[in-house]
Order: sequence, then C-alpha cells, then structure tokens
Amino acid sequence: MTRTVVRASGLTKRYGTFTAVDAVDFTLEEHRIYGLLGRNGAGKTTIMQMLTGQLFPNDGELEVFGRTPAEHADVLRRMCFIAESQRYPEDFTPAHVFTSAPWFFENWDAAFAEQLMSDFRLPVKRRIKKLSRGQLSAVGVIVGLASRAELTFFDEPYLGLDAVARHVFYDRLLADYAEHPRTIVLSTHLIDEVSRLLEHVILIDQGRIILNRDADEVRGSATTVAGARAAVESFVADRAVIGQEALGGLASVTIDGRLDQRDRILAAELGLELAPVSLQQLIVHLTGTELDADSTEQEVAA
Amino acid sequence: MTATAAQPLARTETRSRAHEIWRIVRLHTVNPSIFFGVPWLILGGAWAVSMVLAVIITGSGAQPDDVGDGMRYSWAVLSPQWYLVVVGVQAVGLTFSFALGFGATRRDFWLGTSLMFALVSLLNAAAIATLVQLEIATDGWWVGTRMFDALWYGQTSWFGDFYATFAMQLLVLFVGASVTTVFMRWRMRGMMILSFGAIALALAAVALVTLNQAWPAVFEWFGSLGLGGAFTLVLAMAAVFAVAGYLVIRRATPR
Repeated sequence: MTRTVVRASGLTKRYGTFTAVDAVDFTLEEHRIYGLLGRNGAGKTTIMQMLTGQLFPNDGELEVFGRTPAEHADVLRRMCFIAESQRYPEDFTPAHVFTSAPWFFENWDAAFAEQLMSDFRLPVKRRIKKLSRGQLSAVGVIVGLASRAELTFFDEPYLGLDAVARHVFYDRLLADYAEHPRTIVLSTHLIDEVSRLLEHVILIDQGRIILNRDADEVRGSATTVAGARAAVESFVADRAVIGQEALGGLASVTIDGRLDQRDRILAAELGLELAPVSLQQLIVHLTGTELDADSTEQEVAA
Repeated sequence: MTATAAQPLARTETRSRAHEIWRIVRLHTVNPSIFFGVPWLILGGAWAVSMVLAVIITGSGAQPDDVGDGMRYSWAVLSPQWYLVVVGVQAVGLTFSFALGFGATRRDFWLGTSLMFALVSLLNAAAIATLVQLEIATDGWWVGTRMFDALWYGQTSWFGDFYATFAMQLLVLFVGASVTTVFMRWRMRGMMILSFGAIALALAAVALVTLNQAWPAVFEWFGSLGLGGAFTLVLAMAAVFAVAGYLVIRRATPR
C-alpha cells in the first residue's frame, strides 16, 4: 500500500502575461524516485517552488502531505529543497550550511554528511560565493541526501559535477534510498545522467506535462526505424510518428508505441533496422518537435 | 507494501513554536561576523581614529578640554548604525531565501528575525552605554578623546544612553529589513511605488506645514518631547516597521 504524498490539479503559475506552469495535474506516490524532466525554462523549478510553499499558485489545487504547503510548518519540515540557484546568507560557507541543517531537518545524519563532504572533496571553509558550479551542486546534494526528508527535491544535481562526483551521487542516493525509503524528485535537463535512477518520469514543456509515465514503460515505448525510404514509409504509415529524418534514399523515423512480434518480423522482411530509443532521445523528440511546430506556426503567422 | 523505514517518518507535532523561532535566531548567529563582527570592527576602527586624533591635537599644544568639547560633535559613536541598515537588508534579501529552502515558514522567519534584532540591539545598547560611562570615568581613555560621550550621549544616565541606542538600532534594522520585504514581494515595481510614495508623502507634509506656517509649532512639539520622548517616538517607529514587515513578508517569495 502506498500513500499519495503530493496531489496537484489544475496547478497554475503566471507571471504577468507569461504562464510558467499551465494547469498541470499530477500525483507523487510515497517511496518512489521521480524525474521531473524538461528543457531550461520549462517550469520545473516553478513547480518545485510551489510544492515547497516558496511560491503561491495562481490557480488550481495543491496538497502536500494532505494540506496546502505554504506557511504550514508541519508540512514544510518534512521536505528538503535546495534550489539550483539557491541564495545563501552573506559570507556563508558550506560549514555554516551543515552546522545549521540539523536545526531544520530532524532526520539529519551528521556522520553521513561528513562522509559525503570528503567523497565530494568539498572545501567546507571556503565561501559559497567562491565555490565552483560543481562544488555548489555538491552542497545541495549533501543537504538533500543527509537531511533524509520524506520528500526530497534535487534541482539539477549533476550541474558541473565531474564524472567521479556524479558516480558518488548515484551510488550514495541508491544505497541510502534502499535503507531509508523516501520520495525523491530529481529535476534536470541532463536526462541521460539520471535516466537509470528514475522510476517514474514527468516530462514538462512550456509549462505543460507532456508525459507522465512509469520509467520502464517509457524506455520501451519508442523505436527508431531506419532503412530505405519507401520501406520505412510503408512500415510507419499507420503509426504515431514522433520524429523523422531523411537523407537521400534513406530515412529514419521514430514511432511511439510498442512493437509486437508480427511488427518485428515485418520489419525484418522489409530490411529495416529497429533501434530502441533512449529516454534522452525520446524527450528530444517529444519536446523538440513541439518547438519546431511552434516556430513554423509563427512563420506562417508572420 | 513498501519497506518500513528505520525510524517512523510520519511524526506528529512534537516541537513547539518556540523551537521554530529560536532556530532562526541561531541561523542568524551561525556566522557571527554579520551581526557582531563587522559592526564592532567599524566601531573599534572609529575609536582608534578618535584616539589618534586626540593625541595628535593634544600633542600640537591644544588644551585637552577644548579638544573634548570639539569632539562632542563627532558622529563616530553612531558609525555602526549605518551598517546595520545593510544587515537588515541582507537578513531578508539573502537569509530569508535560505530559510525558506530549509523549510521555515515566513511567519517564523520574521518572528525569529525580530527576536534577533531585539537581542542585538539590547546587547549593543548595553555595551555602548557602558562604554560612555567608562569614557567619562577615564577622562577620555586617558588621552582626553571623546567618542562615546558625544552628541546626546553622556548627558543623562546609563539608562538614557541605553534606551537611545536600543531604539535607534532597532529602527535601522527594521527599516532595512521591512523595506526589503517590499522588494521580495513586489520586486522592482513595489520598490518604485514605495519610494515615490514616500517622497510624495514627505513633500505633502512639508507643504502642509509650510502653507499653514506651522513650523514653529512643529519645532516646539519636538522640543517638548525631550530626549526620552524623542527616542520613544523612534521606538514606536521601529514597531510600525516591524508590524508592516510582518504583513508584507507573509506573501513574499524568494528569488
């Protein structure tokens, strides 16, 4: 039995005439790892800021742990969200952050935090203003992991992290998650880096949710078909095409939906190559084509 | 069915409000240079300059008493005052965003910050009032300088100086913090409206008094307040800014 931790319906945030988040509906279940994916400016951070009571929605309903998050201490204390662009008090160092963290997070594990500081080789006495992008990301990652909050957000955790640090994050997150299950939301545009971690994917583009599915389902849900143009075209004729490329007599088309045994035999007979689409490729197709369509419309309008 | 966590995560209300407010005070003091270090460094620097000046002037043959009288008009004792405006601004501009990230509510943040302001003003006021008495007792730190025993300081009692310092420090901290809440809630547009509104209000007041030829009456009223009355007025203004800041920050959003 799982509990629903977050329930949003029609959630909307507007800035003047710009709609950052446009009537989105979703739920987050307890003890799962969610990927909140999308391009820069898609509305990922705005959604997380509303979930953590930092921003007030303009419209819609939002329940976190059963009630509106903003200004409710009993809800807020169960969450941890260090934004990618988090501001810190004047002249703060990572040491100051980790000293004050246990006052705010009741499940804080100081020994774990200590371990992570050395894993990430974080200079804890250096001013936060002087940290590199990767070191700044490490501060947020350490707070997120060691706080063990029931609902933890990681905002662009991979930004600027080197290969070793990315590996440390991946390992520590999975190990600690197994020991202390909680709901985790990873927000990022670096999709390949996190795709293996995710159990559920929520893809947003221009303030709307365009995909909200189990990660395993998403991984097998699209296929690229490549081969002679005529053969490809006949194969994909009555299928949902989400992307296509052509070069001379060759074509490569990405289709949505699973292929069954008969489809695979047919493709082999036509001499077509079938390739699985990675999460990243799928998302580029889903969010990139939309962009193309928009720009064509604008050209037509002009 | 999911695995059971090592400790039950669903906790009921066990911690009191006082804890949530006190942790904001601790957050403000985790880096003590902001509220204590820099203001006292400024005051210490001003004190050192006053000492050197007094030694130079006395060394050039001036009468120590005349030096002391001249330095009565020095504003050095108020030097940390202006920096505290910046401290107030940063408390909301930077620490507020951080505290929200750590799951504090706006309400608790403002109450905790107000408590911090009160504690800082209390400590600074006690220290400065004591330094005034020390300066008088040592006859200007044995070189005839006058830094703390200046302006309206040293005229009444230890408590008089304490009260004046407490009220003024509280006012500048709350002015800095509450004006910044306007920015955090309405951004640049709010700041423009606030500053133009304040200027318009000030001009209207000047016009009203001038057209009614009421300046003598206004000065008379100020004079009748006396030192104690004037600083009670300052304290009341600080309270107004504190309440206004509380109302504005309840819907403010971090950057």
